[in-house]
Amino acid sequence: MLKRVIAGFVIALASYGNLCATPSGQFTQANRFYEQRAYDSAVFVYRQLVSEGMESAPLYFNLGNAYFRSGDLGQAVLCYLRAKRLDPADPDIKANLEFARQYTSVQMEGVRLNPVSSLFESIVEPYRLSMLAWISSGFFILLFGFLIARFGFAVRGALTRAGIWLTFLLLLSASLLTTVKYDQDFLTRRGVIIAQECVVRTGPSEQADKELDASPGLIVEILAQSGDFYNVLFENKRRGWVRKDLLAVV
Amino acid sequence: MTGRPDMRHFVRTAYFASLLAILTAAGMVSAQTSPQLEVVVTLTQETISLDEQAILEVEVKGSTQDMPSPSLPTLPMFEIYSQGRSTNISYVNGVVEASVTNRYLLVPSKAGTYPIENISVVYQNRRYVGNSVTLTVVSRGASVSPQLERRALDTVGNSKDYFLEASVDNRNPYVSQQVTLTLKLFIAVQYYGSPELVEPTTTGFWTELLGTRGPYQQRVNDRTYRVIERKYALFPTATGEQTIGRATITVTVQSRQQNQRRDPFDIFGMLGAGEEVQIRSQSLTVNVKSLPVEGRPGDFSGTVGRFTLKATPTKREVEVNQPVSVNFLINGVGNIKSVAEPVIPDLPDFRVYKASSNESVSKLDERLGGTRTFEEVFIPKRPGQLVVPAVSFSYFDPEAGQYRTARTEPITLNVIRTEGYAAAQEVPYSAPDSKISADARDIRYIKEDPGDLGHREGLLLTSPLYLMVNAAPVLALMVAVLLRRRREKLSGDIGYARSRRASREARRRLARAAQLATVSTSEQFFGESGQALLSFISDKLNVSPHGLTSDRIQDLLVDHSADPKLVQDILAFLDRCSFARYAPASVSQSDIDQALADAEQLMMRLEEVRF
Repeated sequence: MLKRVIAGFVIALASYGNLCATPSGQFTQANRFYEQRAYDSAVFVYRQLVSEGMESAPLYFNLGNAYFRSGDLGQAVLCYLRAKRLDPADPDIKANLEFARQYTSVQMEGVRLNPVSSLFESIVEPYRLSMLAWISSGFFILLFGFLIARFGFAVRGALTRAGIWLTFLLLLSASLLTTVKYDQDFLTRRGVIIAQECVVRTGPSEQADKELDASPGLIVEILAQSGDFYNVLFENKRRGWVRKDLLAVV
Repeated sequence: MTGRPDMRHFVRTAYFASLLAILTAAGMVSAQTSPQLEVVVTLTQETISLDEQAILEVEVKGSTQDMPSPSLPTLPMFEIYSQGRSTNISYVNGVVEASVTNRYLLVPSKAGTYPIENISVVYQNRRYVGNSVTLTVVSRGASVSPQLERRALDTVGNSKDYFLEASVDNRNPYVSQQVTLTLKLFIAVQYYGSPELVEPTTTGFWTELLGTRGPYQQRVNDRTYRVIERKYALFPTATGEQTIGRATITVTVQSRQQNQRRDPFDIFGMLGAGEEVQIRSQSLTVNVKSLPVEGRPGDFSGTVGRFTLKATPTKREVEVNQPVSVNFLINGVGNIKSVAEPVIPDLPDFRVYKASSNESVSKLDERLGGTRTFEEVFIPKRPGQLVVPAVSFSYFDPEAGQYRTARTEPITLNVIRTEGYAAAQEVPYSAPDSKISADARDIRYIKEDPGDLGHREGLLLTSPLYLMVNAAPVLALMVAVLLRRRREKLSGDIGYARSRRASREARRRLARAAQLATVSTSEQFFGESGQALLSFISDKLNVSPHGLTSDRIQDLLVDHSADPKLVQDILAFLDRCSFARYAPASVSQSDIDQALADAEQLMMRLEEVRF
């Protein structure tokens, strides 16, 4: 196994000089490694792109696949989540995320959901935040267009009045959905357990009692931090403290 | 004439014969088409204590909507209460399928074993009898285990208002053998809302929820509890001692204070918010045995349970180099999701491809099981009677404690020689499911297109472009409102309008005067120059230029705090203009140029006055 990994890296490094200088060239090269089942080399090249500040949904998706194939479930789930944030409507990302999550040895299924927030979250799930924000802006501009017609040019017809109310309601709805999405993507900090062994403790210290054992690939919500520990909430609403190096923030 | 009665007799006989035939046929048809009913009797619990009740369900199903009600036999040992009925009707291919389920609550009055039989319905003069069931009623409290009775008591021996009981059906299972975990919430006081459960941690187990039941009533230590039950199928993934963690239920219950000192206005008991309590179950330890090494078949891949294996080809006759699918169906009880694909040996006469696999999970009698189907594509390489040999699948039967092997029957395929067939011809074949579907057993393939591969973008909501785009309409509205107000003021307030345009009008007149600044047109020049100043003053002050005498101009300008020197200069300039208009011969070009310069200077000074 070790030999295979080293060989993979040697191939990756040797080929790296011949790679196209462009990021898309590196992406294609990484795909070639993947096709040759040199998953560690593929991970190496995909990660190079990420470390250069590049990102796209396919990049994270492919990196997630390469991690999954090389047996790193935690990193695979993390990459799929990052890909999903960039392209929430992609069915491939959704399918692979769900598939990968089946392999977490500890299942922590949510037991009770708030139906209202669940409804809003399911509505905004397939859309990107920027798209919702631009839709809100569109309605905002349209509303002000009607207001300018009404108060700037004294156009007082029923059409103007209806337009104002309609665009106001649409703006209200779009803004609400944008807020939900913003909360989901940015205000709620999510993390993924990436360590093979992860002890969740009752307090932010190694001396604190063990609350439970977590396994790679579990998704948590980060509630707070203290020193080297994050206070996390699992999907089944159990809480605990996890050392920061054992999870990665999405 | 003698033939007529015979004829009539013949006709009459034929008539009755036909009628009889039609009626008989109709009777046969109606007998054939009259719907057959089925009566299925079930009991929710086969054993109850004297403190408990059982639910008897009588389901009548058949191809009619006009479903009769069942009649129950006399059951003297029970009080029987109807619990209502539910109807389910479906139309499939024009055929009505209906089922009506009547529920009865049976309250026992004496312990014993009671067969319940002869529950029947009568439909179209036929009686349909249901199956028999037996209900065992045990003495009071006999169905409750001593352990449960202890759990229902607190440390000082008082009966608990609520507790959460966890139990497993097998403490010594084999690895991968199902262990059923049962969580039971016992609650004897009023509770509000729905209890919120934090599932127990089951590290070291593969877990599947079997279902939730209740609330139903059960008596423990002579106290009636409402019970909500939740069951899980756990499959140990490691040997040795494995711990099932504690489950926690958070529920709002009627507080003890509330219970004792009830608010007289709280008529429904709902006004009080209650007390939120956390109820925790005990943790459980299971000692997981490893599978025996002895007798382990070579193809054993770790599947535990009881299964059957069946192979079905889609066709038995096929041309050379054409695919034929064979479905290998594994069915049984156990962790169906962990069932591995049967191993197909190397076959020199076939090329074999894996096409797809799917599974359906069932949860019958609290046992997880189901069906897993593997589709394999076989492509025969040569013509003849080719045989797909028996394929075996080994599993461990935990009930018997030994390994077993299920085998398919060999499949003989009649492979037809095609025109132009040449031995060892290889026809490329792509499996039908190269793009793996969502429920497939593998991840979806990587993407070739890198997408919008670029540097990470900041948050759009704080980007300058986004803020500008959103600020623009606000500014536009403000500008539009201001412009409209100005327009309205200009059109409604003549004084304001004149004042606003005074400067422009005066400048226009001065410009015209500059065009007339020659000796030959000196009369018009001085007229325009004087008018320019007069119109400016009259417009600014909203007065008529015709009534403006020198005294009036002086008064008006002084009232608006104009510099007295400016007032004198203006009056002097206006006098000079009047004089020049009436004595044009005395005007030189230099006088005109000087007057134009003075007019412009006076205009500038006037514009500084606050009117």
